[in-house]
Amino acid sequence: MKVGGIFGITALIVLIYLWEWPKLKKNGRKIIVVFFTLITIGWVLAILLVLFPNMPGPSQLIDFIFKPIGRYWEIS
Amino acid sequence: MIEKGKISPFQMALIIYAVVVGTAILYIPFITAQHAKRDLWLSPIWAALSGFLIVFIITKLYKLYPKKTLVEYSELILGRTLGKIIGFIFLFFLLYDTAIAFREYGEFVESAFLHKTPLVVVTGGIALTCAFAVHGGIEVLGRCAIIFLPIVLVLYLIIYLFLIPDLNVKNIFPIMEYGWIPSIKGSLAPHAWLSQFSLLSFLLPFLSDETKGMKWSILSVSVSVMTMVYINLGNIFLFGGIITSTQFPVFQAARYISIGSIFEHVESIVIAVWVLGGFVQLSAFFYMLVLGTSQWLKLHSHKPIILPFGFLIILFSVWSASSFQEMIRSMGTTTPFYFITIQLLIPMLLLFVAVIREKLRKA
Repeated sequence: MKVGGIFGITALIVLIYLWEWPKLKKNGRKIIVVFFTLITIGWVLAILLVLFPNMPGPSQLIDFIFKPIGRYWEIS
Repeated sequence: MIEKGKISPFQMALIIYAVVVGTAILYIPFITAQHAKRDLWLSPIWAALSGFLIVFIITKLYKLYPKKTLVEYSELILGRTLGKIIGFIFLFFLLYDTAIAFREYGEFVESAFLHKTPLVVVTGGIALTCAFAVHGGIEVLGRCAIIFLPIVLVLYLIIYLFLIPDLNVKNIFPIMEYGWIPSIKGSLAPHAWLSQFSLLSFLLPFLSDETKGMKWSILSVSVSVMTMVYINLGNIFLFGGIITSTQFPVFQAARYISIGSIFEHVESIVIAVWVLGGFVQLSAFFYMLVLGTSQWLKLHSHKPIILPFGFLIILFSVWSASSFQEMIRSMGTTTPFYFITIQLLIPMLLLFVAVIREKLRKA
């Protein structure tokens, strides 16, 4: 199941790459760097999410920061 | 300038209306009802304060820095490094906000129709469609809004008109049974939603007629608040006390519609039309995110990063909450403060610094 997930994600990333590459080449170096950074972040994050579905994320950070005020809105 | 398209002030008002109201009536009434109970309909009126305040701040900032978006002028106001940091915080928030909106629609469609489909397939499908609209640029968004939004608006209106025989106006009493506090407490989530008018900052530079920007923004806030009040009143008339346990009240209301027992199962039409509004909303979010990022990085074109961002949005929509219950809990407690901090306090801070700068420059 997990291997399938990783395989699927990689396939999707490759598809995005193949789709954008012909247009990317014309757009200069900077955009290529940004594009690859973005898809690498996406790829790593996707695989991490497949392997550890309960990984703490931004929501936990928000919960942590705003807990002191948010407490008063908790439904008892 | 990356984007060359222009939109009319009316189109801008419709886009921002879709951005705010599309999800504000999906399950926000449920969250509001937890605190406000029968005073549910009062909460959006308190929240209107946030809406008007943020429109005032954003238009003021826009007058000081014409033709610039929030990401661009934060750099001019606070200097390069600090401005970039603020820009990043805002963009990260936008990514999170977009992801949440995708998740909401995904959960909604799944719980209403596609019970066995994995969430990612639903959100991924929407993201792919939106990517086409984003690729078309701001003009496509404006035209989508002008075609789809009137249909959606009429839908919001007629759901409760069809239900008039079932509405019980007495459900609204007693008004303010426990004083002001419950309705103000319940207004937290509507406050957060109306503070999304800060995203106007990404639309104002594309107006064809800038003098009318402020007028239409104010109008858009008013209509949003009125829609929320109308929907909440309809809900309280229809459901009464059980409103506190109805997750998607408007959808539940649509299920009740039955006219002469030939006109039934209207909810399927409701969802289809709702997703139209959702399409405009999600594309607008997606567009602002992509545009903001390319301005932040000073790229020449925003088109190549659309698909990678679509992928990231889907990941964040999965990552942002482990379950829908979890999401509703955080939406009722901590997440609104995140919304308000980023969308109200940051523009306020920017305006404060900008005004001081202006004064110093003139002195």
